[in-house]
Amino acid sequence: MRSQLKFYLIPAFILLFSIQSFAQMERKRADIVEPVETFWAPTLITQTTTETLQARNLNVTIMHSFGIATSNVVQNFFGLDNIQNVRIGLDYGITDNWSIGIGRSSLFNVIDIRSKFALLKQNSDNSTPISVALKGDFGIVTQENRRPFKDDISTFSSVIISKKINKQISLQLSPMYGYFSSVDPGNQQHLFSLGIGSQINLSERFALTAEYHPIIGEKNRNTNNAFSMGLNIQTGGHVFQLFFASTRWHLEQYAMAQNSEQFWAGDFRFGFNVNRIFGL
Amino acid sequence: MNTTSYILSSLSLALCFLTVPILGTAQSYMTESGHVEFDSSVPLHSFTGVSDHLIGKIALADSIVDFYVDVHTLETGIGKRDNDMLRTLEADKYPFAEFYGKIISDFRPLNNQPRKVTVKGEFAVHGVSKKITITGTLQKVRKEIHVEASWTLNMKDYNIEPPGILFYRVSEKIEVSISATLSSN
Repeated sequence: MRSQLKFYLIPAFILLFSIQSFAQMERKRADIVEPVETFWAPTLITQTTTETLQARNLNVTIMHSFGIATSNVVQNFFGLDNIQNVRIGLDYGITDNWSIGIGRSSLFNVIDIRSKFALLKQNSDNSTPISVALKGDFGIVTQENRRPFKDDISTFSSVIISKKINKQISLQLSPMYGYFSSVDPGNQQHLFSLGIGSQINLSERFALTAEYHPIIGEKNRNTNNAFSMGLNIQTGGHVFQLFFASTRWHLEQYAMAQNSEQFWAGDFRFGFNVNRIFGL
Repeated sequence: MNTTSYILSSLSLALCFLTVPILGTAQSYMTESGHVEFDSSVPLHSFTGVSDHLIGKIALADSIVDFYVDVHTLETGIGKRDNDMLRTLEADKYPFAEFYGKIISDFRPLNNQPRKVTVKGEFAVHGVSKKITITGTLQKVRKEIHVEASWTLNMKDYNIEPPGILFYRVSEKIEVSISATLSSN
């Protein structure tokens, strides 16, 4: 009797396992390699990042900087009464690797046309371990100043190299060159810098950022290396960037050329950028 | 019955039983390129995410319905938004949205007309699994089955925090729909 029971039970168990193995498909990850999101926005604070827009995406940016936060604190309400510079900009992705843009800064009414091209994009499988992008910017002072047009031009070019080290930390180096067609006596027409930028992700929504523009070679008179640090807030649509900065400029060539404040001496101002990407 | 003949008999009998699921496989249908999309809305704006990497299997013999998609394949048309979505879904930790269940409605042999069916099972996303019942249609087209279904997913039910800040938030309710043609295995 016991032997007969075994006769039926063992094949029944085998049958049971055979049914279970058929029951649910094995879950397999899709074989896709994607670019890594090194930074949350195409601009860190003032410095351009390696992030490029997807084709047919439009990024609208509004950038503000206020007066020095530490002087006449009560009268100027931490500098918020003195709006120093507002840049409104549009950038459009022609392809997934190439974008063009235009913007206008309220300071000197500078209109700038810019373009960025991604040469390399860090990949999710690390087959490309870094991102490299080229950026060019052409600025024109449109404020009435009784100068010929040719004296109102500035240009900027940089090679941006970045790496997302791990889920929390991204670093960036940007050798950059700025040119001004006309400068005051004692100032430099050609300016060089090695921009340094970083982002530390605190969570899925918040990240700390910092950037530095150390000038290589001669600086302009009364100009210090620009430094900024900020907090990025990602809201699923917008990226808000709140920051403290020494410079009031949102254009890199001007951040190199005109920055009289010293951040670590307490001369910093509050500012914020709003980024919003639309699909067209 | 000695031990050797007992083992041989058991294996023979098991082999006979094993043909049952093998026959079941013969009546199953499969796809690796089904379409899934979701509609989401934010104030003054709505958007759609799509993927054509829906993997699915329907076994008529035992009424099993099994579908899954790697959420990394979903695209909304804005790269930045895709990354936000993957972060919200914690996609590295929970890469799949999946359904596994059974057809519970009366299911007679298929003809060429779409037939309404009800399936009941577990839908899982973001590491949370919930029992749901979905109504859809099955249509037999030669040696293939076309399936369509849609349902509303409440993000709260799956511990998904709608992205946003203050008054600007993605709606908690997401309309999900699938459409796939499965070929006979």
